[in-house]
Amino acid sequence: MTVPVEHLFILSAILFAIGTAGFFLRRNVIIVLMSIELMLNAANLAFLAASRMHTLEAGATEASLQGPLFAIFVIVVAAVEAAVGLALVIALYRNQQTVDLEQVTALKN
Amino acid sequence: MNVEMMKQVLTAEALSAAAPFLALTVGILLLLVVEILPGTATLRPLVFLGTLAAAFGYAWQQANGPELRVFAETYVANSTTGWWAILFVIATLVAWLFARKFYREEARFEGEHDVLLLSAAAGMVLMAGSRDLLVFFVGLELLSVPLYTLSGFQRAKRTSIEAGLKYFVLGAFAAAMFLFGAALVYAGTGTLTLSSMDAADLSKSITIAGGALIAASLFFKISVFPFHLWVPDVYQGAPAPVTTFMATGTKAAAFAFLLPMAVLLPSDAAVLLAAIAVATMALGNLGALVQTDLKRLLAYSGISHAGTMLLAVAAQVSGGASAASVSNAILYYMAAYVFTAGGAFGLVTAMESRTGAPVTIESLKGLAQRQPLWAATFALFALSLGGIPATGGFLGKYLVFSTAVQADMIGWAIAGVLMSVVALGYYLRLIVAMYMQEPAKDATHGEGSRPWANAMAVVCAVGVLVLGVLPGWFMEHMK
Repeated sequence: MTVPVEHLFILSAILFAIGTAGFFLRRNVIIVLMSIELMLNAANLAFLAASRMHTLEAGATEASLQGPLFAIFVIVVAAVEAAVGLALVIALYRNQQTVDLEQVTALKN
Repeated sequence: MNVEMMKQVLTAEALSAAAPFLALTVGILLLLVVEILPGTATLRPLVFLGTLAAAFGYAWQQANGPELRVFAETYVANSTTGWWAILFVIATLVAWLFARKFYREEARFEGEHDVLLLSAAAGMVLMAGSRDLLVFFVGLELLSVPLYTLSGFQRAKRTSIEAGLKYFVLGAFAAAMFLFGAALVYAGTGTLTLSSMDAADLSKSITIAGGALIAASLFFKISVFPFHLWVPDVYQGAPAPVTTFMATGTKAAAFAFLLPMAVLLPSDAAVLLAAIAVATMALGNLGALVQTDLKRLLAYSGISHAGTMLLAVAAQVSGGASAASVSNAILYYMAAYVFTAGGAFGLVTAMESRTGAPVTIESLKGLAQRQPLWAATFALFALSLGGIPATGGFLGKYLVFSTAVQADMIGWAIAGVLMSVVALGYYLRLIVAMYMQEPAKDATHGEGSRPWANAMAVVCAVGVLVLGVLPGWFMEHMK
């Protein structure tokens, strides 16, 4: 028994929604970064689901590999972003002893 | 990958299409080598300028050469992408020259600064040439990640770190939106390459949803409503040369891809885009009216300019204006904007670098007596931003509004023109401050001589005037 492709899309949409909600609702930078990672992985899942959908389509002669390929790029970029993001968080903590976005308010009208 | 496959992919045509990008990449590697080898630090400016010169040369060739579609149609090189690449090189050069002697505590990291600047420029070139969502994404990240770092470059400064962090958090969110959108488009069409998407697949609702998510993430990069809130904070907090670069280059690169990407959007979206464009102009201008910090004021002005250009995109999406005329209008607008905003932000950089204190309208007072050249060129930039005739800004506005008229969006065009009039209110306030108001007693901004800044201000001013007075030459070349 295989999982229907619609379920994969629904799961990825739910993950994306959870990530988005976390991004808007949480004020701790680390949690915000985790929410973004969740969104990126939701996109990865959607890429793989779409790839499977196109590969199993009637009349398809070869596997649709653009999706998995994109997912690999996303994993690399997510690592890069995590490195830069955490470096900025450390710089922030050294500077202000906080990782709470509510307290990062030097720039205001 | 074996040799035969390499030969098929890396044809002479492909290499020449990617030449500006490759030149920048080689430059980055050379800069890193120069950074490691002892005693070669003096070579750094030479390598940097040589790289930009090489990229400029290849871009110039492309601007006057035939159209090349390479790497399985995922990358194109034609006169438009050639001109975009030229603009990116100019924007990088302006930002870099104004950054000379700007950094103090960070001066020993100038090598890293230059490498990051070149990486961002390479990302822009890749974005402008890409006709594939994956290639574009790589370009976008190659641009964004160095910019996050550069925004937080002055790590002893609270404002700089805050700018870097805010830019990063929101930029990563926009990237995630782009990716989910790309996944949906891929699900709907079965491909990531724009040219192989067929019309039937484009009208599926899943593709439209994906296109909307992608458009939203690009709106973040070009800073239009409702994704503009980060701009004032980041522009104010980031080091001034980086702000110069972001204001000119990033916006241009996102527009360069938004135009070919617009095929993903249905023509019904035109009204929505036009409404967003006018709302952006209104919010940008109203926000700018109440600002006192100059970087913040120019940031809000940049938001309204992005709105103006979005009106031309709306005209293209509606199908009423030809893609070529829209692309030329935006290219011209952006070219004028690179010189205008580059010069304006550059002068702010020059004023800030002496004291390190933020430049406000208060500190502009009496600038005409302290630095007549800066005051005169800054006044010219303000007039060009406001769209006064005989400046590049005027012609850019004229071209953009005329595409809207072509597409029968006259009401929106009139609303846009009215917004430009509102904008004159705060641009003229700057000129009044410089020429008609007495300086505060302890005014120090702009004292001392800075030959580099003088030269760059003149170069940018000449650019603004040439684009305003001799548009024929550029139009001829852009065809």
